[in-house]
Amino acid sequence: MTSQGTRRMVFMGLLVALATALHVVEGMLSIPLPVPGVKLGLANVVTLLAIYLYGFRDGLTVALMRVLLGSLISGMFLSPGFMLGLTGAVGSTMIMALLLKHTTCFSMIGISMAGAAAHNMGQLLAACLILQNSALIYYLPVLLLTGIPTGIFTGVLLNSLISQSEKSGMLNDLVRTSP
Amino acid sequence: MIRQRKLLLSALGVLLIVLLASFQYSRRIREYRSEHFLMDTLISIKVYGRNQEVLKKAVAEAFAEMRRIAELADGFPQPGTAAYGSSDVCRINAQAGKQPVMVDNDIMAMLELAKKYHHISLGAFDVTIGPLMELWGFGGEAPHVPDAHSIQAALARVGSDKLVLNGHERTAFLTKAGMKLDLGAMAKGYAAEKAIWILEKNGIEKALIDAGGNVRTLGRNVHEAPWKIGVKDPRKSAAVTAVLQLENASAVTSGDYYRYFEAGGKRYNHILDPRSGYPAVRTMSATVVTKDAGLADILSTVFFVLPPEKALETAGKMSGVEVFLVTADGRILHSSSLKGRIEVLPGDSYRYDQGR
Amino acid sequence: MTRADKFLLAGLVLFSLLSMAALYSRFSGGDDKLQSSKAVISVQGKILRTIDLTPGTRSSFTLQGRLGPSIVGVEGNRIRMLEAPCAGKVCVNQRWIENPGETIVCIPGEIMIRIEGTAPLDAVTR
Repeated sequence: MTSQGTRRMVFMGLLVALATALHVVEGMLSIPLPVPGVKLGLANVVTLLAIYLYGFRDGLTVALMRVLLGSLISGMFLSPGFMLGLTGAVGSTMIMALLLKHTTCFSMIGISMAGAAAHNMGQLLAACLILQNSALIYYLPVLLLTGIPTGIFTGVLLNSLISQSEKSGMLNDLVRTSP
Repeated sequence: MIRQRKLLLSALGVLLIVLLASFQYSRRIREYRSEHFLMDTLISIKVYGRNQEVLKKAVAEAFAEMRRIAELADGFPQPGTAAYGSSDVCRINAQAGKQPVMVDNDIMAMLELAKKYHHISLGAFDVTIGPLMELWGFGGEAPHVPDAHSIQAALARVGSDKLVLNGHERTAFLTKAGMKLDLGAMAKGYAAEKAIWILEKNGIEKALIDAGGNVRTLGRNVHEAPWKIGVKDPRKSAAVTAVLQLENASAVTSGDYYRYFEAGGKRYNHILDPRSGYPAVRTMSATVVTKDAGLADILSTVFFVLPPEKALETAGKMSGVEVFLVTADGRILHSSSLKGRIEVLPGDSYRYDQGR
Repeated sequence: MTRADKFLLAGLVLFSLLSMAALYSRFSGGDDKLQSSKAVISVQGKILRTIDLTPGTRSSFTLQGRLGPSIVGVEGNRIRMLEAPCAGKVCVNQRWIENPGETIVCIPGEIMIRIEGTAPLDAVTR
């Protein structure tokens, strides 16, 4: 394996660990909403970083790994909460990758807001499907609104991280040069 | 450099907002509820405020006071039990025809109110109705229709004019042997009113007490709107005949559907007319709306016993008192001043002429 | 923040507010008839029971969810899950609900308790 490939693998490992930790900690902050497993979406910051550095596929890997590991750790493996986490993670990863790679008008802030919104929407959709009832749509506005501040917060963090690294060339070693 | 600082500041800004929001959240108006079984029924108190400790303490105090009054006013305990010793009513009854008994301030206040409304209602309200209630057996397991002779005999031992009160000595005296007090028609309301006073004293501004169907509200509800209080349908178990909007007011109902028995195809309810000795049957339910819960409790019995038109007329003469009636023949009548604060739902069962 | 970001933000906020308005009117019923509300309980998508939430009443009952029996408690105009066989007990921790549109959901048990109807009464005088 090339030294760059090794570096990538190591860094990916770090990202997964970080995302999982965030996922578990987030799970412990109890949000007073009756849709179980609904999270703020902070762990998305890591997913977005992975997409930025390595592309959609690796971003998806990080997302799926964090849901898997996170659920194992918090004892929710294969539970319906796990399903919600999956749909949320997949939905947000897809949206964020789409926006990052195919548009230039959004900054990390916009992308992470979209990701947080997609994350919560995905969870809501999964919950409705499991219960075979669309009544939960009552919570749609709240879920959208809570996604916004976390999206902004994580976006700002990523923005500053990236502009810092652009100056210092910090992340250049990690970014895949081949398309 | 500047851009970095701007971003950092904005991130800090978000954090600050989140902190502020959570602080506001912890200072939000909360609800505290508590329930106890007292006076043979479930009493529930709901209060609203920012300080959970204050709410809890106030409600505990309110319940303690309600319990104290319940014990003083309880006529049921048998001699020799602890409850008998702490009941003023039991002592008064025990000394009927013998001598005056010194009583608690609140019992004195209740008895004075009872005599006052006995006169105003031309005898329709009478707390000395004990012997009659006992004869019919409404408190016990085998209520039955007594024969006319027994009723006359019991009536001889009924009459608030034979209850002598001495304000200076704070004594009450049932002057004829065999007389018995029964404060059941006013104790819950009176206790609820004292409870509200205690809540107010503790600085509470929004509360609702439901004392076995006697409702007393304080202030407005959490959304700054009047409390919505339903009036139970006298014949259908889970329906309401009207919805009242109350602010700092009480709503108490006397109805023929709570305690009754049927014999020979007729319904005999537990609200007896002290003048005839028989249940009042012209009304199915009478609801009184006024500020004081004790007064509402007394008047609900009065307006149930009086004929419907007379009840409306009497309520009209009292300031701050309104009544809502469902008569035995299925008509809905109410004080005209209730318009605007009541939504009547006659449904298919009752006739409601809007002109009233 | 780019212009596109700001548009997105505005769009999301607007969409939330609009859906709030739409949902609020849907769940509050059109007319002003004030009656007591009902709780609809469904398991695995099928409606099991509808309970009248009238103040002054109290009851509890057991229902069979996908994982086993759960106990539901009703007190006046509010309802809650008292016991449930799920691992997370999120539904139980949620405690009481009483306003139309609110729901208690047990995802593993596939149980949903939802309040329907117009504004509930604060109390019933009786």
